[in-house]
Amino acid sequence: MVIAFVYAAFVITFDHILGALIPKSLLTMYMFFVVSGVFMVFTFDEEKTKELVAPIKALVEDPSKKMIRNLVFVIIPLGAAYLTYQSQLPSLEPPTEARAQHPAPPSTMKAFGKRFNLMTLENPLRKLQTEDPEAFKAHVKAGGEIYIQNCQYCHGDKLDGEGPFAPGVNPLPVNFQDVTTIAQLTESYLFWRIATGGPGLPKEATPWISAMPVWQNFLTEEEIWQVILFLFDYTGHKPRSWE
Amino acid sequence: MKNLMFSALIAGICVAGPALAAQGNAEKGKEIYMKRCVWCHGEEGDGGGAAAERLNPPPRDFTSGLYKIKTTGREDMVPNDEDIFRMIKYGMPGNFEPGKQPMNPGGSAMPGWGDILSDQDIWDLVAVVKEFSEYTEEKPETQVDYGKQIPSSPESIEKGNKLFHEGERCTECHGEEGKGSAIKALKGDAGDRTWPRNLTKPWTFRGSNDPKDIFTRITTGIPGTQMPSFADPESKKSLSIEERWHVANYVNSLAKKDKVVNPSNTVIQAALLEGDLPMDPNDPQWDAAAQTTYYMVPQFIGKERHFTPANDTITVKAVFNEKDVALLLEWDDRTKSIPGDEMAIKVTDPDEVYEDAVAIQIPAVLPKGVQKPYFGMGDPSHPVNIWQWKAGTTESPETISLMNSTGFANIEKRDAAKAGIEVKSAYSHGTWKVVMKRPRTTGEADKDLQFEEGKFIPIAFAAWDGSNNETGSKHTMTTWYWLILKAPVGARPAMTAIFVAALIFGGLVWWARGAAIARKEEEAAA
Repeated sequence: MVIAFVYAAFVITFDHILGALIPKSLLTMYMFFVVSGVFMVFTFDEEKTKELVAPIKALVEDPSKKMIRNLVFVIIPLGAAYLTYQSQLPSLEPPTEARAQHPAPPSTMKAFGKRFNLMTLENPLRKLQTEDPEAFKAHVKAGGEIYIQNCQYCHGDKLDGEGPFAPGVNPLPVNFQDVTTIAQLTESYLFWRIATGGPGLPKEATPWISAMPVWQNFLTEEEIWQVILFLFDYTGHKPRSWE
Repeated sequence: MKNLMFSALIAGICVAGPALAAQGNAEKGKEIYMKRCVWCHGEEGDGGGAAAERLNPPPRDFTSGLYKIKTTGREDMVPNDEDIFRMIKYGMPGNFEPGKQPMNPGGSAMPGWGDILSDQDIWDLVAVVKEFSEYTEEKPETQVDYGKQIPSSPESIEKGNKLFHEGERCTECHGEEGKGSAIKALKGDAGDRTWPRNLTKPWTFRGSNDPKDIFTRITTGIPGTQMPSFADPESKKSLSIEERWHVANYVNSLAKKDKVVNPSNTVIQAALLEGDLPMDPNDPQWDAAAQTTYYMVPQFIGKERHFTPANDTITVKAVFNEKDVALLLEWDDRTKSIPGDEMAIKVTDPDEVYEDAVAIQIPAVLPKGVQKPYFGMGDPSHPVNIWQWKAGTTESPETISLMNSTGFANIEKRDAAKAGIEVKSAYSHGTWKVVMKRPRTTGEADKDLQFEEGKFIPIAFAAWDGSNNETGSKHTMTTWYWLILKAPVGARPAMTAIFVAALIFGGLVWWARGAAIARKEEEAAA
């Protein structure tokens, strides 16, 4: 009972409440420890062990339980046979593609025919926020227009990663509203991700499947910085900085 | 007495509540509008936002005062406030109302805002939206009369079926099978190209495919489009309330059940067949293979990009034998686009009809590790193999071509016949079916993927609707999925299972016997 409870608790918390499936191998490992732990507690002294084993022993050895015994003797081997058969079938589960979500950026990147140092790169428009709020607002607006013409198809009108084309791409588009995405990143990181797109990802982030276009082919440098202003402005998140 | 007054007060608030809310505060709403809505619907509310040109359907022009989805009577131009409220809260199609369709490539770009805006915010927006038109003050005078809803039943559906087809009532635009395949060029009020709804794809319905919603559309028509009202007694196609319920039940029953996307289904399982593989798309031998359906999205990663697709899914089956492998590709396309064809040029400018086409993409060589070729036509170190079928023109027959590419711009044209690729197509009532077949091995193992059993083979698809301006880089496509030639199971699993069962059974019997002998000995000793 304890074991069933722990198993159910694991499955419910992770799969349903947190919405993150636990890998099967990990769950098997945890459950192994839980089962052994429970077993150890129940077989701590001899009396308890006897108590635990008694019903099983009785089933096999007590002649009055012959009927149930015969039944159990049929069911257990059949069950084992079924499990063995299933495990021997060729797998139709596709290979898993482990993927780094926010891979470490390179120290420098090439785009627009020049080299950018990502450690020192800053959004050149950011300073207008304090120096010239009107001009800043105009840049945010321009960024919004670029976003709606190019990005909403996947990342959504609400910037929630649920645009109309989202279900047709894999991996799914990033949800900018989520606090674990752009709120954790610097503007230079976003510049790198937008300018070089999916193909610019390092290998651990599976660049061959990302549907993120290489935006330096479609947008200017300034337009990318404008979109970045818009992303933070709309969601209310603050970009990370090096200080 | 005091109690009674209190109850009356509460009741009063309850009754007045929605009415008060319905007033909405346009001033507060304006702020929300300028943050959330302006991008598509524009500052003037005329649908002229920055996104307008790249969206089909285009964003609603509020200055017209016309709304597609409304529950006021057909004579009334203005909608109920609740109709506007519903569209803002749940979107088109509603993307988070329980049981409704999520955003998808066949839907419109209007999302539901109910997860980030409160009901009061939305009422404020209703007030803003209404102010854009000169009909702000107009109140609707009539409502849709639903009579008594007739629940769906085989009889009702059959009656609806008759009415749907009778005198081309609905088939005139929606086609024989409801897939919108009838040849008619339709336009919306913004001059935009509109397509009759494919009624077998309920996830593309802007106002849901609940029979009650369908009844409403049939009754009011869809203002601003060529979908008329079937409640108009002047029309010779007019239907009574009861008849409209039957048609609504019939339309609801048209929904595809089997050719729908299941996100967890990423593997196409090719079935092993005895004898020659079927080339005819309608051969019953295809029933042996499981079908898998994927979303298609417009090509937006390379120049020229495409934003306004006419199709959103493709369904695939695969079979193989010792010698060959064959794929059956099936997708809905309202128009059989063959340049020069009389029917095709009826709906599209003759200069803008291109050949319908479909293609599959596989790696040229099966990748050793996890790294696949770039899904957009491969990359320099990982070439892909593309087989493309084109529908042909009135002057030339359909074609199949073979290409190897290492990116959009690096395409090597090859000889499909030499590789042994064969193709056969069939078009019927808004659906293309194309069979492609190739020997599992070819003479060029470094250029053509060799199909081995039990291997996971990356596969992707693309389709072109030649009457929707789709040619060259303008097409719809999928990301990578998998194809596997299911290896025969063989005797091993069954043998192992029998062995394990016998072992356990033997062990149990041995234990029981041992116990029985011990007991007998005890008894004897006693």
